[in-house]
Amino acid sequence: MTREEQVKAVGLKAGARVVGIAAVDAFREKVPEGYRPGDILPGARSVVVAGGDGPTAGAWRCPDHRVMEITGYDLRENVAVHAMCDFIEGALSHHAIQAPSLPVHGHEPPMSMMHAAELAGLGTRSLAAHIILNPEYGLLYYAALITTLPLEPDPPLAEPACPHPGCAAMYKRIGTTPCLRVCPACLAGTVQDGRIQASTYDREKCHSRAQTYGIGSFQKGLLQIVNEDDPGRRRTMIYGDFFTKSLQSVGFFRDSIAQCFECMRVCPVGRKYRKLQ
Amino acid sequence: MTLPPTATAALKSVALKSGATVCGVADATAFDAYAPEKHRPGDLLPGARSVVVVGGAQPREGDWAATSPWVLQTMGTTERIQGVGRRLAQYIEHEFGYYALYVPPGTASGDTPFLSLMLAAQLAGLGSKSLAGPVLNREHGFMYWSAVITTAPFDGDQVEAAAACPAPPCREMWEREGTTPCLKVCPAADGGCLSGKLESGRAVRTFYDAARCNTRVHTHWIGGFQKVLEETLNEPDRDKRKMLLYGDFFTRSLWAITYSSTNIAQCFECMRVCPAAHGLKEMK
Amino acid sequence: MSVFKLDPEVYKRYKDEVLKLCNSFQRIDQPGLSDKQIAERLGLDERTVTEIRCVAERDCYSLEEWEKAIEFKRKATLEWSALALKRPDLKPE
Repeated sequence: MTREEQVKAVGLKAGARVVGIAAVDAFREKVPEGYRPGDILPGARSVVVAGGDGPTAGAWRCPDHRVMEITGYDLRENVAVHAMCDFIEGALSHHAIQAPSLPVHGHEPPMSMMHAAELAGLGTRSLAAHIILNPEYGLLYYAALITTLPLEPDPPLAEPACPHPGCAAMYKRIGTTPCLRVCPACLAGTVQDGRIQASTYDREKCHSRAQTYGIGSFQKGLLQIVNEDDPGRRRTMIYGDFFTKSLQSVGFFRDSIAQCFECMRVCPVGRKYRKLQ
Repeated sequence: MTLPPTATAALKSVALKSGATVCGVADATAFDAYAPEKHRPGDLLPGARSVVVVGGAQPREGDWAATSPWVLQTMGTTERIQGVGRRLAQYIEHEFGYYALYVPPGTASGDTPFLSLMLAAQLAGLGSKSLAGPVLNREHGFMYWSAVITTAPFDGDQVEAAAACPAPPCREMWEREGTTPCLKVCPAADGGCLSGKLESGRAVRTFYDAARCNTRVHTHWIGGFQKVLEETLNEPDRDKRKMLLYGDFFTRSLWAITYSSTNIAQCFECMRVCPAAHGLKEMK
Repeated sequence: MSVFKLDPEVYKRYKDEVLKLCNSFQRIDQPGLSDKQIAERLGLDERTVTEIRCVAERDCYSLEEWEKAIEFKRKATLEWSALALKRPDLKPE
C-alpha cells in the first residue's frame, strides 16, 4: 500500500464515506492570507479531507421537517480525521492536526472545509447554496486534517457534479432547476450548455433556515426580550416555543447544526442511495 | 463477592485498548486527607473502594506546533478520554458485578467539580502537580483525565515518587534567571496567573490565580456570557445593546457554549512552553 | 473597561458595504474578502471590520424572516412528501 492508500484506508475504516488529498499550495489561489493551511500549521504540506454521510435515507422520508432539524448527523468524518491524525503522528511521525472548522468570528471559520473538499477532488460547487456535491453520493459533510506529511494530492474533479443532466434538461425546458425552484429566497442561477453559468446564494437568509434555532435565533430573541418593557410580554417571549427551541438547540447544537434540507431534498445527485425498502 | 486476582490487569488492558494512554487506580479513602466533604469518592458512591483513573486524549504534537490559536481553542480533544471513562464504568459493572460511577466532567456548582480529576490522577500514581497547575505524567506530559468510582476493590497504585516538574531545563533556568518557562509566560506579578519558587530543584511555593486563569482558559464561555448579559441589561441605549448581543465576543461565546466539549480549554500557554508537557516523541 | 463595543454610528455607516464585500451574499465565481482585506479597502482597522461584520450578519434580517423560514420548511417538506411518497393527504393547505 502507498502512504496515501494507508492514510485513506484508516479514514474509511473509521467511518468516512470518501477521503481525498489536497496539496497545501493549491489553497493559495482563492484563499486569503490567514486562512490557508500553512497559516495554521507551520510546514504544512498536505490536507486530507474526509466526507461523511448526512441524514439517513429514512430521515429524508419523514414528513415532519422538525425531525431532521434535530437529528443532525453523526460527525463520522470528524472521527475519521482523528483516526488519520493519530495514524500520521503515531506511525508516520509527522505533525497532524484537525483543521479548525468551527466559526470563530461571526459565521467565519479559520479554514473552509468546502474549499478543501473541492481541492481534494471530492466534489464540486452546486447551484444549491454552493454546497459541494460528491458526484456519487451527493450531499456529504466534510472535515479535514492538516499535516506536514508530504502526500500525492488527488486532482480536483474535471466534471462538475452539478447540474445533473436531469436538471440541465429541466432548465432548458422551464428555465429553472429543482433547487432553484424550491428555494428562490436563497438561491438564483443560470445554466448554459449543461454548465452553471452564474449562481448566487444569500447566506444570511439561508442562515434563518439552515440554523433556524440556535445561536442566531437566541441572540435575536434575547435582544427582543431585553428591549421589551412590558413584563407580561417579556415572560411570554422567554417561555415561548421559539426561545425555548433556541435554547434547546444551543444546548444540543451539534445535533442540530443543519436544519434545512429543502434544496438537497429535491436534488437528484446521489438520490439512488436514498431508495431503500 | 471477590475480584479475581487478574481483575486489575484486565481492567487496565481494557482501558488501554479503549484508547487511554495510561490507567491507574487510587484507594478511595486516600482522598479524605485532601478533598473537602461532599467531593470525596464515598460522597458520590456510598461504599466506594477504588477510583479508576484514565489519562489520554492529549493534544497532538501538531496541535502544539500550530500557529493558529483556534486549533487548540476550538478543536479540543478532552472528549475522547471521557468516552473511555464511560466505557470502563459499564465494563466494571458487567464484568465484575460491582457498582461503578463515571465521574461527570462538569461542575457540581459554580466552578467546583464533583471530584477533582487532578487529585485522582495524582493519587492513582499517574502524575504530579506542576508549577503551572496541571498534573503532568512523567512519560506523556500533559493529558486529560477521566475517573470511575467503584465499590470494586482493585489493586491501588503508588503515588509517583519523582515529579515531572520541575524538568531539568526549568531547574537550570531558575538558577540562571530566577524563573521558569511557565512562570515567565504568565507571571502573576505582571497580570498573569502564576508565581512560584524553587529550592534545590523542587517547588517550595506556588501561587495560582484561578479567577484570572478562568478568563483565559474560558475566555469565551459561561462567565463571558454572563458578563455581556449583565452589561446589556444595564445598557440604556438600544443600539448599543444590539452591538453587545450581536457582537463578535458574544457570538463566539455562544459557539463555545454549544460546542463546549471541544472548546472547553482556551489557553495553553503555560503548557506550550513546558518542556515536560509534550511527551517524548520526535516529530517531523 | 468593558468588552469591545462597536460604536452604533460606525456600524450604521459601514454595515451595508461590509456585508457586500464579505461572504454574506455569495457568487459562485467570486470569493468574498477577508476582514483584513475589507479593512484595507474601507480604511478601517481589522477588529472594527470583524465587529461590524458579526453584528451585520445577525442584523441582516429581522426575526420575521425566521418565522417565514419555519413556515417554508413545514410546507416544503409536506409538499415533497405528498409527491414523492404518493401521499396526497400530506399536501399542505
